[in-house]
Amino acid sequence: MTRFLVSLLLGATLLAAPVAAQDGPLRIEITEGVIEPLPFAVPDFVPDNPAAAQAAKDLARVVAADLTGTGLFREIPASAHIGSVSDFNAPVQYADWKAVNAQALITGAVSVSGQNLTVRFRVYDVFSGAELGSGLQFAGTVDGWRRMAHKVADQVYSRITGEGGYFDSRVVFVSETGPKNQRRKRLAIMDYDGANIKYLTDSAELVLAPRFSPTGDRVLYTSYESDFPRIYVLDVDAVERRALQTAEGTMSFSPRFSPDGRTVAFSLERGGNTDIYTLDIASGQQTRLTSTPAIETAPSYSPDGTQMVFESDRSGAPQLYIMPASGGEAKRISFGQGRYGTPVWSPRGDLIAFTKQNKGRFHIGVMRTDGSEERLLTASFLDEGPTWAPNGRVIMFARETQGADGRSTLYSVDITGRNLKQIRTPEGASDPSWSPLQN
Amino acid sequence: MQTGTKISGIAHVALIGWLLFGGSFTSRPLPAQVTDVALISAEEYAAMTTARPAPEAAETPESTAVPEPSMAPAPEVELTNDAPPEQAAPEQALDPEPAPVPDPTPEPPAPDAEVRDTPPVMEQQQDQIVALPDPVSPRPVPRPIDRVAPTPVAPPPPDATPDQVAQPEVTADEGAETPQEAQEETAPEEAADQIVPETAEPPRSAPAKSPRPPSRRPTKPEAVAEKEPTAPAETPTAPAETPVETPLQTDNTADAIDDVLAEALADAPAAPAAPSGPPLSAGEREALRVAVSACWNVGSLSSDALATTVVVGVKLARDGRPDAGSIRLLSHSGGTAGSAQDAFGAARRAIIRCGAPGFNLPVEKYDQWRDIEMTFNPERMRIK
Repeated sequence: MTRFLVSLLLGATLLAAPVAAQDGPLRIEITEGVIEPLPFAVPDFVPDNPAAAQAAKDLARVVAADLTGTGLFREIPASAHIGSVSDFNAPVQYADWKAVNAQALITGAVSVSGQNLTVRFRVYDVFSGAELGSGLQFAGTVDGWRRMAHKVADQVYSRITGEGGYFDSRVVFVSETGPKNQRRKRLAIMDYDGANIKYLTDSAELVLAPRFSPTGDRVLYTSYESDFPRIYVLDVDAVERRALQTAEGTMSFSPRFSPDGRTVAFSLERGGNTDIYTLDIASGQQTRLTSTPAIETAPSYSPDGTQMVFESDRSGAPQLYIMPASGGEAKRISFGQGRYGTPVWSPRGDLIAFTKQNKGRFHIGVMRTDGSEERLLTASFLDEGPTWAPNGRVIMFARETQGADGRSTLYSVDITGRNLKQIRTPEGASDPSWSPLQN
Repeated sequence: MQTGTKISGIAHVALIGWLLFGGSFTSRPLPAQVTDVALISAEEYAAMTTARPAPEAAETPESTAVPEPSMAPAPEVELTNDAPPEQAAPEQALDPEPAPVPDPTPEPPAPDAEVRDTPPVMEQQQDQIVALPDPVSPRPVPRPIDRVAPTPVAPPPPDATPDQVAQPEVTADEGAETPQEAQEETAPEEAADQIVPETAEPPRSAPAKSPRPPSRRPTKPEAVAEKEPTAPAETPTAPAETPVETPLQTDNTADAIDDVLAEALADAPAAPAAPSGPPLSAGEREALRVAVSACWNVGSLSSDALATTVVVGVKLARDGRPDAGSIRLLSHSGGTAGSAQDAFGAARRAIIRCGAPGFNLPVEKYDQWRDIEMTFNPERMRIK
């Protein structure tokens, strides 16, 4: 019996002994990294036929520009490539691309048949020697080759970063010409990168604050066509507009669509008091959401449509408040020094972008929806009118320079405050509104 | 008249006057309290000392006849009493004069006590020692003290010379056929002139050697027994293979442990590849951490991926280069499976990129860094 018990005891000891003696692998914790653009290579896409030769080059350049423009990627120039891709289906020589420190490789092939254009692409993780996702193909028209390039870039961006892209999107804005005291304004629409500008109105009347619909096919804006500010809705493709039904003799402005696109929230001035109203587009029914003697304006819905952030000076200075989308008690969320305005809820729902004026300077900033973690991203003589990229990572806004000849231009900045860059437009630009991703 | 004569005369007159009239200046004696003291006879004092002996009396030579305590672990308790007995008690007992110090605990003196010149034998002390044979616990074991000799040092026999080898005395025998040289009797010293312990190796309360570090590879117990028969066990898995140091292993249970352990070790498979050799120093670990950090680019990670901590396992070759195929995601926390894959991708790129030329690690410690688990925690890099 004693021998049995001893055997049992020692057996258990021997089983546990290796575990106790095994110190295990070396363990280290990495908590500090680097934030730098990820190097990638986009050799010219392979043309499947001679007609696609130019498109193959152009597509690759737009894809590279899209990725580089985010500030998250850095292109390895073609002059540094030691390998080439002449066959879209040939195995990738990872060593060649690893040698030039390209961490991602994008290959593509383009074919043109008449007015139809087809592009195929693949994304590779060079250092792991594997393809990221699977190959994808887009088909469109030759005229729409830039959109197809943006779609490819969106896919690449999404596969590497893990979040959605924003390249296949458009921006509607107010194009401005002339000096400040005689400035002419008209609505314009362009690709997110400033290409393909198209004007939606002429400069006969003053237009303000265009806002895209959730589907990107319509635009709300304020026009002084009747000497009184009124809200119009414009069909982007048809370029047809109509005024929303508001009470006569009132000023309506600062409109914004609800997430479902059926309701418009706007500000209405009546008898010297400005409050927030909603308008059901189909029925024309108006609903008053605020009823204070203060000025309430710039409403913006939360992505789920249940709440609304707006600007009010009910506390003496313009501050940001949140209330239910159907009206009710508002909760103040901004408590910093200065004046807060033009709040816009992020498409991801986690942040609110705003304009802040403090000590003579304007800032574009973001804060959480409870007002915490306020972070100012820019500072200049005049920054205003933020709008969110579809993925909620980039903000576009208008920056105006000082002086009588000051010019307003569009800028974009990452929500980290990095990668501030100007969006090139042929004329001055203000009041941008970023569309959702196009279908 | 000379001045000296005058002074002498004055001094003598003053002395004579003081002798004649000095009694007038005698001061009154201070009142003194007089208390009656009880006288105690020698018989009473002897009775008192007999009833309440001094504890040193038990260590007189007569008290060594006290039977040993029955405690098995303390067989040498009586040896601790070899110190010379305290002489205070006998001296006090031999003093016929009663001690002037009153006893704080009054006890009635024995009326028929008899005064003896020799110190009384304290039988009651023997009774008290015998009354404690059964302690609550046999431990702790009384530690034998150093001593000079088991018995009072006596001069060696005059005809024996101290030597390392004992040999009898040889004297010339005139009747013997073969003459023998006279030889002086020698004997080893019965006592040394230095304090040496009575036992060769006193038991130690602390281990003589620390156990083997857990990271070291277990050594075959047979080899240990062959190389160092007297060395204590170094591996926790083979304690019985080393020479037995504790008396508890001399019984049948110890033999059973030895047998079973030997069988188990003989049948046990080879030990797993545990890291051996000295561990990496803090500087070497930090250098590795910094090397990987330099390539851990989180700039292209999504917000969700930046909220995901991933643990990545990797195997390194002896030249410090990572085996790309061995890089694997062990676990993740704080994000979704998709964000974990994105974070893992960044971690994998970091390991491969900065490990391409080989991490600068000491080759002699290869077992320590052959397998590495790297935790990539982007908390400090997170976009809030």
